[in-house]
Amino acid sequence: MKIAYKHLVKNIIANPSIDEISDRLFQLGHEHEIENDIFNMEFTPNRGDCLSLNGLLRDLSVFYDVDANQEIYNEKLNILDIDFENFSHDICPQISFLKIEIEDIPDKYKDYLNDYFIDLNLNKNNFFTDISNYISYENGQPTHCYDADKINGKLVFQELDTDQEFETLLGKKINLKNKNPVFLLNDKVINLAGVIGGIETSCSSNTKTALVECAFFKPEAIIGKSVKYDIQSEASYKFERFVDPECQDRTIRRFIKIVDEHANIKDVSVISYNFKQNKVTKIPIKTNEINQIIGTNISQELYLNYLSKLGFIINDEHIEAPSYRSDIETQNDLAEEIARVIGYDNITRNEITIPKGKKSNIYDLENNLRFFLLDEGFYEIINSPFVGSDSSNSISVDNPLDSNKKYLRSNLIESLLENLLYNERRQKDSIKLFEISDIYTVKNKKINVTRKLGIIASGRAGHNYKDFSKKISKKYLTSVFKETLPNENFEFKALNRELLNTKVKNEIICCEVDIANFSSDVLSYKKISKPPENFIEYSPISDLPYSIRDLSFSIKDFTELDKFIEYILGFKHDFLKEVYIFDYFNNEKNAEIKIGFRFVFQSSDSTITEAQVNDIISVIIDHTEEINGITIPGLN
Amino acid sequence: MSSNKDIFSPELIKDKGSIHPINHMKDTIMGLLVSFGFEIIDGPEIETEEFNFDMLNIKKTHPARQMHDTFYVEGKSNLLRTHTSPVQIRGMLEKRPPLAFISGGKVYRKDDDATHLPMFHQIEGILVDKNISFAHLKDLIYKIVHSLFGKDIELRFRPSYFPFTEPSAEVDILSSEGKWLEILGCGLVNPKVLENCNIDSNSYSGLAFGLGIERIAMLKHGVKDIREFYKSNLDFLCQFK
Repeated sequence: MKIAYKHLVKNIIANPSIDEISDRLFQLGHEHEIENDIFNMEFTPNRGDCLSLNGLLRDLSVFYDVDANQEIYNEKLNILDIDFENFSHDICPQISFLKIEIEDIPDKYKDYLNDYFIDLNLNKNNFFTDISNYISYENGQPTHCYDADKINGKLVFQELDTDQEFETLLGKKINLKNKNPVFLLNDKVINLAGVIGGIETSCSSNTKTALVECAFFKPEAIIGKSVKYDIQSEASYKFERFVDPECQDRTIRRFIKIVDEHANIKDVSVISYNFKQNKVTKIPIKTNEINQIIGTNISQELYLNYLSKLGFIINDEHIEAPSYRSDIETQNDLAEEIARVIGYDNITRNEITIPKGKKSNIYDLENNLRFFLLDEGFYEIINSPFVGSDSSNSISVDNPLDSNKKYLRSNLIESLLENLLYNERRQKDSIKLFEISDIYTVKNKKINVTRKLGIIASGRAGHNYKDFSKKISKKYLTSVFKETLPNENFEFKALNRELLNTKVKNEIICCEVDIANFSSDVLSYKKISKPPENFIEYSPISDLPYSIRDLSFSIKDFTELDKFIEYILGFKHDFLKEVYIFDYFNNEKNAEIKIGFRFVFQSSDSTITEAQVNDIISVIIDHTEEINGITIPGLN
Repeated sequence: MSSNKDIFSPELIKDKGSIHPINHMKDTIMGLLVSFGFEIIDGPEIETEEFNFDMLNIKKTHPARQMHDTFYVEGKSNLLRTHTSPVQIRGMLEKRPPLAFISGGKVYRKDDDATHLPMFHQIEGILVDKNISFAHLKDLIYKIVHSLFGKDIELRFRPSYFPFTEPSAEVDILSSEGKWLEILGCGLVNPKVLENCNIDSNSYSGLAFGLGIERIAMLKHGVKDIREFYKSNLDFLCQFK
């Protein structure tokens, strides 16, 4: 909600700066951003009472002397004769109607009304609707203005289970479905209560007689309606968060006053219905308990003074919450009020003692499995559980984000296969992935959970000279896993590539195992990898293609071999993403060692060119040519 | 000159994989909290409305319960938990105070953009004992934040609203660019929640806190788009070794 600094400060006697008010608002828990001296407020859902200029001033009055008593119409009012019936008292326990007729529609507004539209960059509609919008901004109570000449029959309020079309005053046609609180005129819906009025009875720029409805609707009856019908409605935003059930009389009189300040009133009459008394919340005065909750030591006098400034009524033994604070029920609620006023940051820390819980070992086994897989070059993946197709035991999502996310996956392999193919498309030639996750399924309406490990791999066994030419196969993975975990049954299988439409032809090997099926042998696995000790600053990744170069060196003088290898493997360049030894051959007979290095290049700005790669490779070659006994066979 | 018979082969550098950065962050924070004395407990991702909302004092009218915020499954019989708080409820029903639990894992909400995903990870903690106050909560939060971001980090507490805590707060840290960044929510356990778990709120009080793991991981690793964590891109994952 937008509230102008200018409008706030006009009512605060001390005239605080915008920065000072901003600090106070944060202290009170009212998040906001400031743009062009306008506070764009984001209130927590329990503070519907703050959704207005006066509401915010009420909260700020704990710090400042505030004068927010706008003038109201104080004359005696005639009783309106209206044919109205309320069939849903529980939903609408309080409602008032004002019928007001003016001689002429004003051609300009008083400064305060005009400024509201200019300062907040709002469009004007028509005289009565403009006042309605202004009053909602000023005191938080939404009102709805009908053109009184169009209300020619019995008006009914009720929560109606209906299926009918309704056109809003903004011209949007919606199909009302299921239960909705509505106003009916001669059995036809003319207003989706608390959300938006209908076009048929709305005011226009020619309207001289308005019927103004001012009601309290229970939040639970309004909530979700604007989302359901895709309607932007400030009224429903307020009703959903609770408006003051006791402010209708004042709102109506303020409405009349503003009309009176702009036009000659020919006729005015009002009727108010109070179908159910508003409940008053009384909480015993217990200053010690408040201090215990917050961890402070404030006096009772100060405590009650703070509450009094926030509008609470103090009796001998009780604190009475004002009608607009539906969120106040307990001592903890009052403690929060005091903590806000003191300032959370001003509450002194008190050293905590934490009762020692027992050491949990629920993740030990799967942690060891994870580290075993890391040591074998596997990367951990986390996938979303939402999938588009089901199996017989899939759990269905009632309200999916889209049709491709209608079910919860019933296995890990399908997601892992997508991950593998994604990385293949990114030119990865050695892909080893795993995921550990709960899998939920349903059988005979009973939901079952199984914690599973999924593994998938394809391509080269690794980027080192022993694994480079080996391809991942069922036999290869089985032997590697059996070597370290001989008693565990991974049951690797090959996936059929034929239906996958891929250029790569490497075998895809996978397995999916229940974590519960692993033996306690896993607990004795000795980890080699260690998680990083420091948090790594991430470098944005490029989606551009790689360029690969291989260089094979012949070494006949071994004195500088270590230095040479160190130089190549430690070579740094922004475009060089990876370098590794892919080939090593020790020819004892010829007293020669051959080493092949693979260089993987990628740019983050544009596709890397041959010339760019050549420039980098030249630097490496030039350096190595200076080393005795090292040559590049075939290089002129 | 040595002969090539004596030369050792080049060091065989075997490729190592990496833990997913979100799980690494989760393990780091859980490890920290365990070192403080908290006990790890676990619970299901598919929950009932009772445990996910009712027991936590989230009213029937609360917007979070709406179909546009919560994923319901199997004809609304169950839902995907929207936070890890129901695990705390299960813990409190099983064990009597004093108690100090943490739980971490996947949670689900109907969001999908650069800063929100329908699936993300949370860690929540709860401590129930005699005479726990907001001043104790502040002490714990300072310890957590200082451990994660260093002792020089500036933090502030803002009043907030969670139905299951009262008073409630959100905690921001000051970034190096001078911007306040929200990192966690916390508060004193609402006495109604304690009573729902058969804990006498006249004798015991509690504190609770919860943090989004992706949020902390994004800050610590400098990742700008939350979706990067879940693309399964090896170029991304291999950076977190």
